[in-house]
Amino acid sequence: MKKINIPQEENSTLNGQQKVMYAPNDNGEFEKFNYGSDVEEYATKLAVEEYEILMEESLKNIKNNISSPIEYFMYKNRMDLPTLTSIVGMFGFRVKRHLRADIYKKLNDKILNKYAIAFQIELEELKGFKYDKRV
Amino acid sequence: MIKEFEHKQFAHCESGVVSTLLSAYGLKISEPMAFGITSTLSFVYLPIVKLNGLPLIAYRELPKNIIKKISQALGIKIKTETFKDPFKANDRLTQLVQEENKLVGLQTSVFYLPYMPEDMRFHFNAHNLLVYGKEGTKYKISDPVFEEVVQCNEGKLSIARFAKGAFAPKGFLYYPQDVPSNLDLSKAIKKAIIKNAKSMTTPFPFAGLKGMQKVANKIKSLEKMTSEKDKKYIKLFLTHIVRMQEEIGTGGGGFRFLYAAFLQESKQYDLNNDILDKASSLITQSGDTLREFALLCVKASRTNNKIDFDSIANKLLEARDFEKEAYALLKKI
Repeated sequence: MKKINIPQEENSTLNGQQKVMYAPNDNGEFEKFNYGSDVEEYATKLAVEEYEILMEESLKNIKNNISSPIEYFMYKNRMDLPTLTSIVGMFGFRVKRHLRADIYKKLNDKILNKYAIAFQIELEELKGFKYDKRV
Repeated sequence: MIKEFEHKQFAHCESGVVSTLLSAYGLKISEPMAFGITSTLSFVYLPIVKLNGLPLIAYRELPKNIIKKISQALGIKIKTETFKDPFKANDRLTQLVQEENKLVGLQTSVFYLPYMPEDMRFHFNAHNLLVYGKEGTKYKISDPVFEEVVQCNEGKLSIARFAKGAFAPKGFLYYPQDVPSNLDLSKAIKKAIIKNAKSMTTPFPFAGLKGMQKVANKIKSLEKMTSEKDKKYIKLFLTHIVRMQEEIGTGGGGFRFLYAAFLQESKQYDLNNDILDKASSLITQSGDTLREFALLCVKASRTNNKIDFDSIANKLLEARDFEKEAYALLKKI
């Protein structure tokens, strides 16, 4: 059995934990080993950063009256449109419209509350959202 | 039984949970055995199914495959329950762990588990864990990918059990009912190996070896994408492949190593050991090659220079070739 390399690098995304993998030991028998991989770390961080970029863009769009706070909270909660749609239980095209600033302003509390629940925040936090006051 | 519960860390959540569950109920099944005997090794590429705008790539069968198939493969009974009402689901879980003193498996969303590291919290709804007790309003949890046991408040756990979206758990819980302590595994193992070899060599173009070819073609086609927006997509696409490979409960082509370990363990069961040895070695090499592939993907997405898409795609094809040889052998076991 060919020996394989068990990575022992830092992976800061795991908060000090290590994961385990199976690999052949010196006798060629499989065993569990702790490992840390900076390849995994990079891939995770990039995905996290992508949401942060989307949040930044969303803030700009809210300031310019293009996007609604729902979009910001969607990215803050690392959701995409299908995920949010499924959580609030509305049709996708409706949710998509609610991401627009002009449509958002006309929404009643009943609908807004569905979003507040989806984002696990108070209704007031959603309604009182200001683009320069990060929640 | 639960009083002496011993937590173990595993490479993958579902196979780990099933291994611990069955072992606690008297049937010693290792994690690789739980994974292999349910023919869980896979490769699927579904460009029409999007996760955060990127195509679904899976390195193993769909979630719940192990839980569903292990009872069939071993002739045991696993009781499964789903719920509509989170409060009822919580009451039932409390009843099972507190009154009936059972060890219970749960399906949850990673995003809503408060003990998950912040960077790991994504909307992945098929994370399996074990509940082994309750104190006050807190459940005692053995999460198979964690080093130590953890705790979770019942309200928070309910949210994680009723997350919506793809693979929504609907409060899914499970525990074994009839578990014989002695079983003849050899027949089931042979059947499972052949089944898995067949599923990996399916003519369906988006699965198994053909699926790997499709992803390789897709990577090669990225060459033609040159705008700024495309560059961002390429970066995300390449790391997405890595995340699908590495993160959803496993490590470094980890499912390949898990399967190789299973093949090696199968040598105790009176099968063709020569084939098992060779195939185990080949699958290990595939796993290792997939790790090199992951490294190339990450390197490419980090660089500002021209990306050599062909060499990345060829790495994946190299892994495919190892597996092709392995499955040809395993079909004859």
